[in-house]
Amino acid sequence: MMTQRMMPATDIQIAICGSAGDGTIAAGEILRNVMAGIGYKVISFDVYPAEIRGFGKCIARMRITTEQAYSLKQRSDVLISLDDSHAIPHVGEVRDCGAVIYESGSIRPVPEGGHISAHILPGQLPYGVPLRELSEKATGANKSRNIVALGYLAGLFGLPAQPFIEGIDGKFKKKAEVARSNEAAFQEGYAIGQATYKLDDVSFEPVARSAGNGARVAMINGNAAVVRGCLDAGIETFFGYPITPATSIMERLAAEMPKRGARLLQTEDEISAISATVGAGYAGARAATATSGPGLALMAEMLGLGVIAEVPCVVFVSQRGGPATGMPTKHEQSDLHMAVYGGHGDAPRIVIAPTNVEGCYRCAGKAFEMAEAYQVPVIVLLDLYLSNRYETVSFPARPPFEPDMTRYAEKGELGEGYKRFRVTEDFISPRAVPGTREGMHVATGLEHNEPGRPNDQPENHQAQSHKRHQKLKAALRHPDFTHYKRFGDEGKVDVGLIAWGSTFGECLEAMHKARTDGIRCAAMKVVMLSPFPAEAVAAFMDDCAAVLVPEVNYQGQFANLLQANVGRRVERLDRVPGTPMPVEEILQEIRRLTGRIEARRPVRVA
Amino acid sequence: MAPANKPKHHVVVGSGVAGSQAAATLRERDPDSRITIFTLSSLPFYNRYDLPKVFRGRQDWREFLVYPPSYYEEHRITLRRNCRVANVDGRRRVLALEHKEDVAFDTLLVASGGRAYLPEELSDFRLLMQRFASFTEAMGVRKQLPEGGHAVLLGGDMIGLDLARTLVDTGYRVSLVTGPHTFWPHEVSDAQRPVLLAALERMGVVLVDGVAAGGIAAIEEGARGMPARRVVFRDGSDLRGDVVMPFFGLVPSVEFMLGSGVDIERGLLVNEALRTTDEAIYAAGDVCQIWSDAERKYRFYYGWKNVRAMGELAARNMTGGDEPFRPAQDEQLEIRSDGWLHSPFWEYE
Repeated sequence: MMTQRMMPATDIQIAICGSAGDGTIAAGEILRNVMAGIGYKVISFDVYPAEIRGFGKCIARMRITTEQAYSLKQRSDVLISLDDSHAIPHVGEVRDCGAVIYESGSIRPVPEGGHISAHILPGQLPYGVPLRELSEKATGANKSRNIVALGYLAGLFGLPAQPFIEGIDGKFKKKAEVARSNEAAFQEGYAIGQATYKLDDVSFEPVARSAGNGARVAMINGNAAVVRGCLDAGIETFFGYPITPATSIMERLAAEMPKRGARLLQTEDEISAISATVGAGYAGARAATATSGPGLALMAEMLGLGVIAEVPCVVFVSQRGGPATGMPTKHEQSDLHMAVYGGHGDAPRIVIAPTNVEGCYRCAGKAFEMAEAYQVPVIVLLDLYLSNRYETVSFPARPPFEPDMTRYAEKGELGEGYKRFRVTEDFISPRAVPGTREGMHVATGLEHNEPGRPNDQPENHQAQSHKRHQKLKAALRHPDFTHYKRFGDEGKVDVGLIAWGSTFGECLEAMHKARTDGIRCAAMKVVMLSPFPAEAVAAFMDDCAAVLVPEVNYQGQFANLLQANVGRRVERLDRVPGTPMPVEEILQEIRRLTGRIEARRPVRVA
Repeated sequence: MAPANKPKHHVVVGSGVAGSQAAATLRERDPDSRITIFTLSSLPFYNRYDLPKVFRGRQDWREFLVYPPSYYEEHRITLRRNCRVANVDGRRRVLALEHKEDVAFDTLLVASGGRAYLPEELSDFRLLMQRFASFTEAMGVRKQLPEGGHAVLLGGDMIGLDLARTLVDTGYRVSLVTGPHTFWPHEVSDAQRPVLLAALERMGVVLVDGVAAGGIAAIEEGARGMPARRVVFRDGSDLRGDVVMPFFGLVPSVEFMLGSGVDIERGLLVNEALRTTDEAIYAAGDVCQIWSDAERKYRFYYGWKNVRAMGELAARNMTGGDEPFRPAQDEQLEIRSDGWLHSPFWEYE
């Protein structure tokens, strides 16, 4: 029997849109932290311009719910405009009876139709607020328009002021004067909001705080979760070169690692970063680097060294729009081929891709375990949406990661006859890190024999290649790791969704909506991309009349990977909008497939 | 003036009965034109005559809408809410909005209506009084007035008396401080007045002769444990209630037309075709005074039927017509067979 999912009591998406310098992202940060602190679940994603200089568009979007949501909604309930020229194209995303809050005044002439009031649809509710005037009244300057808008929002929707005051204090804790003036700005907006008759039907229902179980609840984005996973897993070295959208991983680690006696170095480029990471991994440290698609391309050669020398290390790759410089601040999932296959020679590696922020934490920690357990570089494939998306995450009280999973060479294996690359029953060889007494061996980029000496004989190359591939199969059973997971499972269904990375959130949302509409639909997320869990995926496909793979790349890279491993055809939904896949589009495709299945279903004659 | 092949831009200021009817007629008669309505309201056109129904359980603004929001898109009418017109330059055919946006027009209809008049001696107390001219104001009264509570109505024009009959009918107490505006805009003779007041009393309205009390001296907040408001009269008497609401008729909203080049008296002066002294600018509804050949003067015409007829006629004349306004509304107050007062201004379709 199909289960009905309860609709969340509160499910409100707020978009704040402004120009760089308007404090758009800062206002979003305060709002999402406050709402998470009150006890709501929050998913948030910021969009900002690629250009460092200038006044590009910034949007902070957040979905605030009382029950867990899995993606942002296509339509917002509230839009706050801090800059009409940027916000006008987004007015249409506000639903009927939703609210548009905007600056009612103007200090310079506006061209005809250039004011947001010309674009607010009759079904939407306009709230013009003199943001600039109120900011100037409260602070003597217009810089706190964003905070006035926050205050207005809180007052209009009956949210408590105190958490916002604390949130503002927290945001500006190093600048007491700024904090004070922003508090005043908030109060100005709050008073006006409270006095305004609320015409929209946006309503925040009270939220119950969950009972404490020792878990640590945090409002955090994907990159920050990666950092927390690294730290909880005991990362010892990190080498990196900044690149959007991975940079904040290095920035956060740079602040945290020295406190724990760990080392971080910003290298001169990505080649140096991966070289040093492989070196540190070889030396026995838990080592990682982080980059994006262009950086991964540069790292391909040294990753091959890591594969052939069987060096554990972790590479975090946050994908963005490509190829080349492409669209650095736009979302895409188009580095899957490169992550799984990129580089020269047969260079198998482990590739895992979390699907949500909590998954970023777990994948980050587990990547170190896997790198050690299977003696191979592990790529953790993130994407811009996941890296920058904020979610309320409950972290376990104790880190769920093993501190060391290395299969060290035992005493009897060391000495003159030590074979660092011995072909064992499970193809994982005994390892000796540099400095191990009687563990001296050669590690080289040349093909080598079991002791590690260069050897290009056909039988040896065959055996070592086989070993390097076969040992990874055990990763499909790596303990306490979600390699894949089925959702909405009740046996046979009409449409099954299979997805990876952040797109799975949209798929899950679409699945729930489809089921609410009475469509028999299930979903499967695949976290372990290489080696590929072909049997589990095939079993899921057996239960689905049609399988749809939505992903944010043009080629259908995951669908290619799936078909290559499972040998069956899937329906593809490949889009490259630079933004997350719209749930509605997935839903539309589900409906189309359902219609096709219905049309083919034999008619029972009474 | 737009070139012959360029669609005209008809601009309407005001989204009440006159403005909305005009927009509908303009669309009908000039299918290719651009039509823009500017309004101070946050809501699309809703029926203000229905506002007393907030006391009969209707508290969602959507129930008051005359057209669904989709109507505007379907009829290609741009509705711009929360927009205050700052001034109009008739010579340049440009209207300036308060947020510093200039909008060019080919024809302009001013249907900005009127706002509640408040005698100067009461203006100091305006924060202690509740207005009832918009949906949000109506809901404000609904919120402040407790079930079975006491409303004090000052003046008592036909808008106020319409509310009074609903309040009485729904279990509230109503005191009416009478004065010269009690039957506005009806013109009532000295002989008729006591008869009409008696009808109000029969309806359940408690009358307080404000003139006899020397007028209102002050309006105060009620003391703790007492009703929220206190009206103090010059003779020392007082009246306590949960809300105090002024109803002293309307004054035309014409401030933004000062400097536009058109003739203004109390309202915008228009000829029988509702055209102002600027051939591209028309006016309709409570904002305009129409020349009456019969009476040899400019006069206001009130009531839903008149206002709608004006909106329609103005639109016809803006699109090539040249017809005179003919009042469509009976203006006589009457006492019904059940003894209750009835005003034709309470009627609408």
